[in-house]
Amino acid sequence: VRPVAAAPEKISEKVEESIKSAEEKCSEDPVSGECAAAWDEVEELSAAASHARDKKKDSDPLETFCKDNPETDECRTYDN
Amino acid sequence: MAVCTVYTIQTLNSTCSISKPNKTHLGFHQKQVVFYRTSKKIKKQSTITCTAANEKTVVIGLAADSGCGKSTFMRRLTNVFGGAAEPPKGGNPDSNTLISDMTTVICLDDYHSLDRTGRKKEGVTALDPKANDFDLMYEQVKAIKEGIAVDKPIYNHVSGLLDPPELIKPPKILVIEGLHPMFDQRVRDLLDFSIYLDISNDVKFAWKIQRDMAERGHSLESIKASIEARKPDFDAYIDPQKQYADAVIEVLPTQLIPGDNEGKVLRVRLIMKEGVKYFNPVYLFDEGSTINWIPCGRKLTCSYPGIKFSYGPDTYFGHEVSVLEMDGQFDRLDELIYVESHLSNISTKFYGEVTQQMLKLSDFPGSNNGTGLFQTIVGLKIRDLYEQLIAAKAAAPLQATKA
Repeated sequence: VRPVAAAPEKISEKVEESIKSAEEKCSEDPVSGECAAAWDEVEELSAAASHARDKKKDSDPLETFCKDNPETDECRTYDN
Repeated sequence: MAVCTVYTIQTLNSTCSISKPNKTHLGFHQKQVVFYRTSKKIKKQSTITCTAANEKTVVIGLAADSGCGKSTFMRRLTNVFGGAAEPPKGGNPDSNTLISDMTTVICLDDYHSLDRTGRKKEGVTALDPKANDFDLMYEQVKAIKEGIAVDKPIYNHVSGLLDPPELIKPPKILVIEGLHPMFDQRVRDLLDFSIYLDISNDVKFAWKIQRDMAERGHSLESIKASIEARKPDFDAYIDPQKQYADAVIEVLPTQLIPGDNEGKVLRVRLIMKEGVKYFNPVYLFDEGSTINWIPCGRKLTCSYPGIKFSYGPDTYFGHEVSVLEMDGQFDRLDELIYVESHLSNISTKFYGEVTQQMLKLSDFPGSNNGTGLFQTIVGLKIRDLYEQLIAAKAAAPLQATKA
């Protein structure tokens, strides 16, 4: 079985957690390396979440179906 | 000149061998030699297909911060060469690589030397050179350029860990995209062409709001804090790379609407370095003049705020450059053919190719403003550069035999 990429919902939770921990880290020392690294993690996860969302949005239900079932009536296409 | 090696195997009815592109096959692309057996007779049959040995990989570098439209640009670029780019089949589902017939795009985050926990412990961001392995980056990009397949690590953006490596075969065009393609001088020297996407702070903020506001936990403050916290490293390590780029796409807030900060209407500048081999900058009407052009008028109706083009020579980090600028947005893409017909040196193969490319990807972000237009034009310039480089390489050994 092929592994499946992480679902957007799971990343969303991680984004939320990372924001909380970044806010905590930066309340101690707002100009430290730890603070910057924590916000960098937020950025990385936000980007991953938005990419996962885009991927999900792109998928057309009929096209996804036709990838697996090219022989069905609704999917058959002939070049000529 | 094509160099082929034919392997003779005596006992063909025992086992068949298929040679895989390995480290020894310099300059070869993909599987070249296939042996198969015919019935019980010991008869040698072999199919040999060879690509010219001098067909080396062309390497393109694209630098930009995260969330600045690198992936949109990559999809526009691969579309110019035809065929859709897809992640490697059957491999790691979180792989960052995109492969199409002509191009392979690798994400330089895969060369992180520290994973997420490692960076946290050291208190460095991914932007910091300390978090990146430039030696490995140099070695592997060099190997691919010479036609050798490599095992490249995978940085998993979801887990924040370095996953087991994947095999990258030498493509015709290799694109390395990420934060530091032009940071290390050795890697920089390997690049045949380099691009920097320069998004101004106001626009970056507006884009990240659009991207992240729907996300749980994010607020205006958290987006602002994230940009602010990464800014010192961005200014120190990422931004200076733009001085080395052959083309810079600068995205700024519009000047057509006073006080606009929505980031929807954009002023986009394409800064093209002069004197780069195989790269002739695009110009408007007359090469080397300074021109302001508002295409709206009797021939073209535009709605508010309209479109304004500028073109002219300039200097950028001490280099001579040509700058093409577009402010505003298209309401209908048929306006674009009117603009395209007045641009020269856009390296199209037929009249209307830029417009056609834009129409094909009309649902992509930036299709109605200068970002999409200039990304498409840069894509066409890269195709032109690739074709000239290949032609020059094919001609070089020919001249050597003549002499």
